[in-house]
Amino acid sequence: MENTIIRVMELTKTYRVPVRAEGLGASLKSLFKPTYSEVSAVQAISFEIPQGEMVGLIGPNGAGKTTTLKMLAGLLHPTSGQVSVAGYEPWQRQPQYLRRISMVMGNKSQMLWDIPPLDSFRVLGEIYSVPKKEFERNLEELVQLLEMKELLTKPVRNLSLGERMKCELTASLLHRPSVLFLDEPTLGLDVSMQLRLRRFLADYNRSSGTTVILTSHYMADVMALCPRVILIHHGKILHDGELGTLARRLMPFKILRITLKQESMAENELPELPDGVEVLEAESNNLNLRVPRDEAAAITAKLLETLNVADLTIEDPSIEAVIDQVYTDGGQ
Amino acid sequence: MTRGIFTPSRGGWALIRSTWLSWMQYRSFFFILAFGWMIPPLIYLLVWSTAAGEGSISGMTRGAFVAYYLILILVNQITYAQTNWTVGDLIRYGQINKVLLRPIPPLYDALASEFAGKVVYLVFVVPILVILAFVLKPELDLTLLNALAFIPALIFAWALRFFWGYWLALLAFWATRADALLALQDSLVFLLAGQVAPIALLPGALKTLAVILPFRYMVAFPVEVITGQLTRPEMLTGFAIQVGWMVAAVILYALLWRYGLKRYSAVGG
Repeated sequence: MENTIIRVMELTKTYRVPVRAEGLGASLKSLFKPTYSEVSAVQAISFEIPQGEMVGLIGPNGAGKTTTLKMLAGLLHPTSGQVSVAGYEPWQRQPQYLRRISMVMGNKSQMLWDIPPLDSFRVLGEIYSVPKKEFERNLEELVQLLEMKELLTKPVRNLSLGERMKCELTASLLHRPSVLFLDEPTLGLDVSMQLRLRRFLADYNRSSGTTVILTSHYMADVMALCPRVILIHHGKILHDGELGTLARRLMPFKILRITLKQESMAENELPELPDGVEVLEAESNNLNLRVPRDEAAAITAKLLETLNVADLTIEDPSIEAVIDQVYTDGGQ
Repeated sequence: MTRGIFTPSRGGWALIRSTWLSWMQYRSFFFILAFGWMIPPLIYLLVWSTAAGEGSISGMTRGAFVAYYLILILVNQITYAQTNWTVGDLIRYGQINKVLLRPIPPLYDALASEFAGKVVYLVFVVPILVILAFVLKPELDLTLLNALAFIPALIFAWALRFFWGYWLALLAFWATRADALLALQDSLVFLLAGQVAPIALLPGALKTLAVILPFRYMVAFPVEVITGQLTRPEMLTGFAIQVGWMVAAVILYALLWRYGLKRYSAVGG
């Protein structure tokens, strides 16, 4: 791939976790002869990301998303495999590398609690040695995009969670990183704040060309922001590509929503349905059906013939339903 | 890892300033801490100066004890490395991630809170010492040589105490409650660094122990230097031992930081 900024090859991380049986005897024994078990967090994953792309890293809790992100940011040393981000090997943590990246963790703050954000920003500007003029320009741009001028002089402890996340984002972008790692940036935020942050991230990504990797539990974040998703489960990549393709691959179904003309259906009076159709919901004169994707057209035609249809829509299953299926049974 | 640690840096100074600003919000908390650290030496000041009465103990008069302890309070305040207590927490709760993501050496964070802390404490402690000096009337025979020697002795004492505590705190990479060792260090400093009694007054074996171990050189040594308790050879041996321990502490700090980080990035925070 040309202008690839992140290259991950056969990246593997195995944690060594001390095992301790219950009871006093066992804990004494483990003191002298500790036993470890190997927990495999990430298994030989590979992917490449071009400059300026916004990629969603999704997967259930414990899938290996944060571990992957931490290895990319240089906080974790992999067990094996190679990573190159902007030409650097992250875990060497060279200052030149650290100046080119940024990481926002939804549950950890880099703001100082007791002083106004503006003071923290200035410190970060110095730490990243951003030239004064450039600093002022970046700050003004971010403050405008995030509509947070009035927050600059209030102590951080007096800010709401959403306001604090605005500050975190500003703090992480002041030095104009080439790569931004976002770990659950919208955690715990209300819907309208999520929307605004999403809009900001999309705008910023477009205008600055910053490469963004985002993990989130809110599918809406990923759907709105990331043309490409990497789905990780049990440390392996299950899918790398468009979200829509994922749905098609993992859920070979369509949902038919039918409204019948007659006033209502009596119970147990379901009309006769073709083979392969599964009833998801039948209430009053509404029917929700699940049909195999490649037979959807034929079945729809047959239903239009046999039933007295007032309205009919064909939909893809919701992405939440897809993800839920993956999370619960591994997409089998 | 050690590259550029001691070269001045924009980021380092900015960190110090902001830490100081945020700590000024808690002035009263730090005043109470500083007050707490003052009390034990103050008690022993009163004990020894009363014991000396009109005479002297091992050549120290009442006024000499007052001078010794007032200076000791100041030195103790300046060298006390409270940052060491927070390093362990940083590691335990994964907050160290944010420090590791920054393009400057993590030592800067510790130094920032050290310097910020010193300013806040001294604002409180110095006026009190001045008042105490007026009330208790210390007697100090100050020579130029002793005054000059005091400055490096004090700086080395701070560096020794800081890095000694820091390497102990870094054991948090391996053991969850490494700060128990910091409490032990505090107790040893209390016993062997001239707080309970000036080292010269300690019984034989304990005195030898105090001279050999690093703790005397964290607090008592600079005080002994400025109050003129030491002969020229004693002072020179003292400096040699102090610098030796300081170098050892810095080496231990650098090693533990290196291997600790390796372990941290292997097991994850």
